[in-house]
Amino acid sequence: MILPNYFMADLPPDAELNPTMIREACETIRRNREHYLARRSTQAIIKLLADVGESWRQPEYRFRKLTLEHGPAATGFSSGTLAKGLDTFFKQLTAENMEKLLEQDLGDGRRLEQMAATPAEDKTGRAAIATPPELIAHITAGTLPCATLQSMVLGVLLRSAQFVKCASGASFLPRLFAHSLYDADSKLGACLELAEWRGGNERFESVLFEQADCVTATGSDETLAAIRQRLAGRARLVAYGHRVSFGYVAKGVLSGLHARKIVARAAADVAAWDQLGCLSPHVIYVEEGTEMSAEQFAEGLAGELAERELTEPRGKVPVEIAATIASRRSFYEVRAAHSARSTDTPRTRLWSSPGSTAWTVVFEGDPLFQLSCLHRFIYVKSVNNLSETFHHADVIRGKVSTVGLSAPEEKAQEFATQLARWGVTRVCPLGQMQNPPLAWRHDGRPALANLVRWTDWEI
Amino acid sequence: MQLTSSISQFETRLREFFHSSVSNTRYSDWETRFQKLALDLFQLQFASNEAYRDLCSARGVNPALVTDWKQIPAAPASAFKELELSCLPAVERTRVFYSSGTTRERPSRHFHNDRSLALYENSAASWFGKTFGLFNAANAEVPTSPFTMIFLTPQPGAVPNSSLAHMFATLNQKWGGGRSHFIGEVSPRGVWTIDFKAATKALEAECAAGRPLFLIGTAFSFVHLLDFFAESDLRFQLPAGSRVMETGGYKGQSRVVPRSELHLLIGERLGVPPSQIVCEYGMCELSSQAYAMALTDADTRSSGRIFDFPPWAKTMIISPETGTEVSEGETGLIRVFDLANVCSVMAVQTEDLGIRHGDGFELVGRAENSEARGCSLMASSLREAL
Repeated sequence: MILPNYFMADLPPDAELNPTMIREACETIRRNREHYLARRSTQAIIKLLADVGESWRQPEYRFRKLTLEHGPAATGFSSGTLAKGLDTFFKQLTAENMEKLLEQDLGDGRRLEQMAATPAEDKTGRAAIATPPELIAHITAGTLPCATLQSMVLGVLLRSAQFVKCASGASFLPRLFAHSLYDADSKLGACLELAEWRGGNERFESVLFEQADCVTATGSDETLAAIRQRLAGRARLVAYGHRVSFGYVAKGVLSGLHARKIVARAAADVAAWDQLGCLSPHVIYVEEGTEMSAEQFAEGLAGELAERELTEPRGKVPVEIAATIASRRSFYEVRAAHSARSTDTPRTRLWSSPGSTAWTVVFEGDPLFQLSCLHRFIYVKSVNNLSETFHHADVIRGKVSTVGLSAPEEKAQEFATQLARWGVTRVCPLGQMQNPPLAWRHDGRPALANLVRWTDWEI
Repeated sequence: MQLTSSISQFETRLREFFHSSVSNTRYSDWETRFQKLALDLFQLQFASNEAYRDLCSARGVNPALVTDWKQIPAAPASAFKELELSCLPAVERTRVFYSSGTTRERPSRHFHNDRSLALYENSAASWFGKTFGLFNAANAEVPTSPFTMIFLTPQPGAVPNSSLAHMFATLNQKWGGGRSHFIGEVSPRGVWTIDFKAATKALEAECAAGRPLFLIGTAFSFVHLLDFFAESDLRFQLPAGSRVMETGGYKGQSRVVPRSELHLLIGERLGVPPSQIVCEYGMCELSSQAYAMALTDADTRSSGRIFDFPPWAKTMIISPETGTEVSEGETGLIRVFDLANVCSVMAVQTEDLGIRHGDGFELVGRAENSEARGCSLMASSLREAL
């Protein structure tokens, strides 16, 4: 894949970075931002982003084609999975969604440009303006690209210069997105930098942390603690720790034809990004006492995953991952064989893709929360009600991002409230777990409002 | 009753096979003999090991359908944790070996009675003796003259559930003579430690006498010992002909030292060259062990070592992706068909990854160590919480 050398991530793999390059890049994008970006109107930025988002959904768009052509080798996701992921993400990137995000997070869409007051502030004689960071450094994690794209979108909306530090081997899609922005508006593109290095490189990162006035970071608790310590309060840190998610299917939704749809939605959540994100479910809990038992649900889910494999195959995995999946399957195979004959083991069943590790469904009568080994390996467990689920998932309390919920309309609000009180930060319909809205409050914090500095004006 | 006699008949045939394999009168048709023994043992185990039979039935396999040892269904090593994978009725089980591991995990359990334990001993001693040329050339039943063995494990009596300690006791009995030591200890919490003073004293005595010795322990016990020697600034030059044997991994241990680094440290602190360092691969779920040696002193690539089981235990390297055997030079999960596992399950699917090399394999690592990709975990930290 040949792309012009706009970013450090475009350099050949053997090119060595050094702290001076990083410092100079920061100074350049900061200067460019001052010249080309800082004073653009919100409306112009929104239009630009919306146009780029629309382009990405066109089959003939150059960067989309490059993604689907080279993505499987570069990211490990099949082109079907990538196409689905791109569509889901860029569908969100509309002018209307961005306007709503500004209004939601800043109270008034004009606030990035001028002092403005909400009706409540107006009554008390106040107004406020939000000042974005000049330079945001993003320390991104893992291989799931959408979270990085989302961070970049927020940075562009704020008209900040951005330095995107990708985890090693994870710059592919952020890089194509950055090129698509450059292609749409080279001056905007000149306010972006992208580089890839192994996290924890103090020589590089200390330069970056000196230059940035805001740092966003995604990673393990230890990674975040290390960054926090090294920033020592100099720049604002917006940190996202690791989270887990699960699905919940309440009584009363699994009847007739509708049941099939719910099962298909669960399959969509397992298949999206090969289940590798914080928002992907490890377990689907199914309440007992409906027309369809949890075990039948699991069987249906296996069928759906098998079908999805035809159009959105799971990406190829290295032998170590395959070994983990195979070993875990064997464990449940033994348990299943044993539980069929004996009552001293909770009822267990296993469905899996023949001749590959592409997908696995484990039904377990034991409702204790289990971490999946991912790559489309899902547990289905039966429970009686939500409070029982909380009990069995206590080990992940406080670490749960998303619950994909399927519940009767009249009960959904009650479920959502209970989940919120227990500590869940996002409840969405099953099937939408890997599709958070642009304006979602990531880990329970506002997206844009966390990045800006407020100035209150008491008139 | 009939089954018991069948098993004891099988044991007799197996002992003959051991004997022939390690003596100079090795069968010319041992492949055929292995095949026959394997198929017979599968039939016996299918009949008398209920938990294994359930597993076979769930896979739709029974002895009538199996015509080659490679088709015999393998029980995953994790099944030894979950089930009582034994042909022995509960009352006959006089001994049980547990796997090591983190205390949070349930260990694997391998049940024995006196006869199966004797067979275990026979298997362990036969292959050890054959590998290191420790039998009398004229008669493979007769060990060479004894030499000093220093074991970095506790006394077998102190850890009756350790198959490793039992194996060491077996070797000690056969070759240890009077001067051998077990210098490990067990803490009240069950942790294995080393009596550093005793180790130092024993090594000094052997060096002074110029007697070649065999120093044997787990990889982790060597790390401990070498750490101590480094702290105390102690160095030994073990007498020429001395060997070091390191076994097993680091399950549940906080510090992991790559094998190549460990071997360098052994050379540095004990003066033992790579060609005299032996790696052992064994587990409580098996009754035979594989050994890997460096071919020359210049061969410091400990990763390139090829492990070989005795002729009564064969391996297949299985692609975890497809479940079929990999080609030469490819990586997969190690499956062992150990005829000495008479009273449990002969075919064991391990969670260890190996590269196929002829009849042997190069050890790569362990499946469960592979970290989950992506931001979804934290597998280790959450497992800690669990």
